Amino acid sequence: MEKKILIDKIFQYGKQLGLQDMEISYNSDTSFDIGIFKQEIDNYSLSDNNKLSLKVIYNGKLGNSYTEKIDETSIEMLVNEAIENAKIISSSDEVEIFAGSKNYTSVNTYNENSEKVSDIDKINFAKKAEEIAYSLDKRIVQVQDCMYIDGTEESILANTKGLNLQNKSNYVLSYIGVVANDGKQIKSSYSFACGRDFSKLDPEEMATEAVKKALSMLGAKSIKSGNYPIIIKNETMGDLLSSLTSIFSAENVQKNLSLLKDKLNKKIASSMLTIVDDPFMECGLASRSYDSEGAACTYKKLIDKGILKSYLYNLKTAKKDNVETTGNSLGSSRIGPSNFYIENGNNSLENIMNSVKEGLLITGLDGLHAGLNAISGDFSLSASGYLIENGTIKHPVEQITVAGNFFEMIKSIEDIANDLKFGLPGESYIGSPSIKFKGLAVAGE
Amino acid sequence: MLSKQLIEDVLNAALSTSGDFAEIFVEDRTNSQITLIGGIVENTISGRDYGVGIRIYKGFNSVYAFTNKSDRETLIKTAKKAAQAMIGCHNDLTLNLIKSDVINNHKILKYPDKVSKLKKVEAMRKVYDAAKNYDDVISQVSVTHLDHNQHIMVANSEGLWKEDTRVRNRIVVSSVASKNGEMQTGYLAPGAMRGFEFIENYDLEALGKEASRIAKTMVNASYCPSGKFPVLIDNGFGGVIFHEACGHSLEATSVAKGTSVFAGKVGEKIASDVVTAIDDGTLPNEWGSINIDDEGTPSQKNVLIENGILKGYMIDRLNGRRMGHASTGSGRRQSYKFAPTSRMTNTYIASGNSKREDMFANTERGIYARYMGGGSVNPSTGEFNFSVLEGYLVENGKITTPVRGATLIGKGTEILKKIDMISDNLSYGQGMCGSSSGSVPTNVGQPLIRVSEITVGGREE
Repeated sequence: MEKKILIDKIFQYGKQLGLQDMEISYNSDTSFDIGIFKQEIDNYSLSDNNKLSLKVIYNGKLGNSYTEKIDETSIEMLVNEAIENAKIISSSDEVEIFAGSKNYTSVNTYNENSEKVSDIDKINFAKKAEEIAYSLDKRIVQVQDCMYIDGTEESILANTKGLNLQNKSNYVLSYIGVVANDGKQIKSSYSFACGRDFSKLDPEEMATEAVKKALSMLGAKSIKSGNYPIIIKNETMGDLLSSLTSIFSAENVQKNLSLLKDKLNKKIASSMLTIVDDPFMECGLASRSYDSEGAACTYKKLIDKGILKSYLYNLKTAKKDNVETTGNSLGSSRIGPSNFYIENGNNSLENIMNSVKEGLLITGLDGLHAGLNAISGDFSLSASGYLIENGTIKHPVEQITVAGNFFEMIKSIEDIANDLKFGLPGESYIGSPSIKFKGLAVAGE
Repeated sequence: MLSKQLIEDVLNAALSTSGDFAEIFVEDRTNSQITLIGGIVENTISGRDYGVGIRIYKGFNSVYAFTNKSDRETLIKTAKKAAQAMIGCHNDLTLNLIKSDVINNHKILKYPDKVSKLKKVEAMRKVYDAAKNYDDVISQVSVTHLDHNQHIMVANSEGLWKEDTRVRNRIVVSSVASKNGEMQTGYLAPGAMRGFEFIENYDLEALGKEASRIAKTMVNASYCPSGKFPVLIDNGFGGVIFHEACGHSLEATSVAKGTSVFAGKVGEKIASDVVTAIDDGTLPNEWGSINIDDEGTPSQKNVLIENGILKGYMIDRLNGRRMGHASTGSGRRQSYKFAPTSRMTNTYIASGNSKREDMFANTERGIYARYMGGGSVNPSTGEFNFSVLEGYLVENGKITTPVRGATLIGKGTEILKKIDMISDNLSYGQGMCGSSSGSVPTNVGQPLIRVSEITVGGREE
């Protein structure tokens, strides 16, 4: 109730200054975060985090402000700062405070059992993961970043048009990084487990995966430069996709910053490719029933069998294109996906590998924030993986780069596996199956 | 920011179990960000970050808790909750905090709250106009202005009690050139630990033109060849190579636990004779500078490598305990939401003796990276990668065709030995560096350097 009183006071103060349309989003989250190093608690963090954001319409312009010092002393600064910010907006785009959608699909984003787990059980979980990692192979010389994190978030979205939405969500996440050393080479790898239900996390499965991945990279060498058929492994393909979601943003399309402009209902990729944004996905860690503007989220295929079907919209960009918002606002005019993935194909990864005479299975791409340009689609990235010869893995590969262009690459898909896997969760939760591409330029020896 | 009594009580509550060191960090920070895109201000956000972080050590273990609330009840409760993670009995402690002044090395003239938003937009427009009008090929330009005023207080159970203020201003310009359905970008982002005078005194027109010149050059460039080449990396932001390839591996964060490839190598030759590298947080008004670090230790000039010999690391308090070494003033954090760890400030390769002309003249076939993009490194293997924003072929000692899409990869340990020539034109570039204690402003820097051989990834064979 305390929160509601403060929200009302802010609206009251705004009204005194002549404002009519105002909206507040109030987020409170608590988190628990531990790290284990050689069976000791190396890091232990607790947080209680609150943020109140205000949106006002002043002379037809949108003004934003926020504060983390949440008490009555902040009211004046919050409202005045939002007005000052509105004054310098020169965009003539129509803006609105949203009265709400007709229907909201309810989504379950909270698992109350996870909140009952004791700290000791969480600590033991991470300790066990570390112990298992060391026990599996003596070439595992170090377990670094063995951590367990969980959090609960409560949010309120309320405005002067009568909208009042509330949501509660939680997550649990564990991560392990291991270093393998065979005396000749050092290789590192990681794995993670996440969800909303603590009881579904398995420390053994997680530790085993990280160890297996690191060991399998020992003995890696570079290969001859050239053009190779390439399979990008599910997780790695997901990482690549994560760096390119901005191309679907209607904001970028409208501002000439996406090459998907003017491509709606045109074939832009192989007909094997379907990309979905599903905010209602069960177990989706970015599931939500409404977006940060209070608009109902929607399920949609962005690319359906190779044809571009939709962009991601918020209220403002939807109005411009004369369509309904897709419920993809991430706050302060940012647009992004929810649970976002490439649909599974029919073949197993094994079968697809069998079809490769000489090629690469890529399991790591580094430097995505620098070596990839989402505007041009060009990338040139440090990569690692395995050399495939006649359908089987010949040896691990390091110190190579893979270069190409995303927009060209999705036209040259040769096969999609049935091993869809999601990456680390954030504002969006992104996944992909393994995909085989006709050929990409590799630089090595 | 908090009364002496409250700070002492919180520290005592934090040590109510078996902790042997406690620290409280308070941050009150105002932020402003304005974005101008296509000549229109569409988005601006400003506000106040505020919170308190409490940290407790017991030996090498640490507990960190933070909250946005600074009332007595919440802080004592938070400290006690954190203390419960340290099982054991209470150490008796008599605290005597004496507030010590921090000497400010960075003169600020125009504080953010004294500058009207319209003035900021006016400056941004100058950059925009120059960039947009540079050439018809420029299809889009965005300009962002950022400033912040961060006020911090740090106190600990050893009696340290300090406050400091950090003001920074930055302007970011991104130009897009479009031609035949292709797009390329040019990007520049100068910043400083200065007030708005930094923006007012900057040649804003030249800044806009330069970003567009890069975009135009790159949209007309052909694809970069792949393979191993000598690479010449220009001064300023080119220093990102040292930052990624070696700097991160010299942070105590990875050295203390022995995961860094440079752990235990002080006194050993790790680079070629011409390489001297320094991390210096005391440089007046530089983007990565600080008076004191986020643990209250004064910033200092740390020589990392001298004539190829490893001299030292960048160390924070906790990792210092592990290493048996004092802090080097390198404990930094993005905000109260992060426990600090060892981080870089202004990190650079010092000037050498080679002449620019000779460096090119001695290169028969290679790559010249005029501007670098970003990159990353895996500190346990030393493998790094970074992208070239504006690159050229060097043929028979001369800069020839512009090339796009080049990525440089390698291992930090190897590249340090392959730097064979260093020029005398040291300059800095500004970036945001991300690591376990969040994103902090850092300078990278170097003169023009030549690496005798590096793997270049491009699209042409």
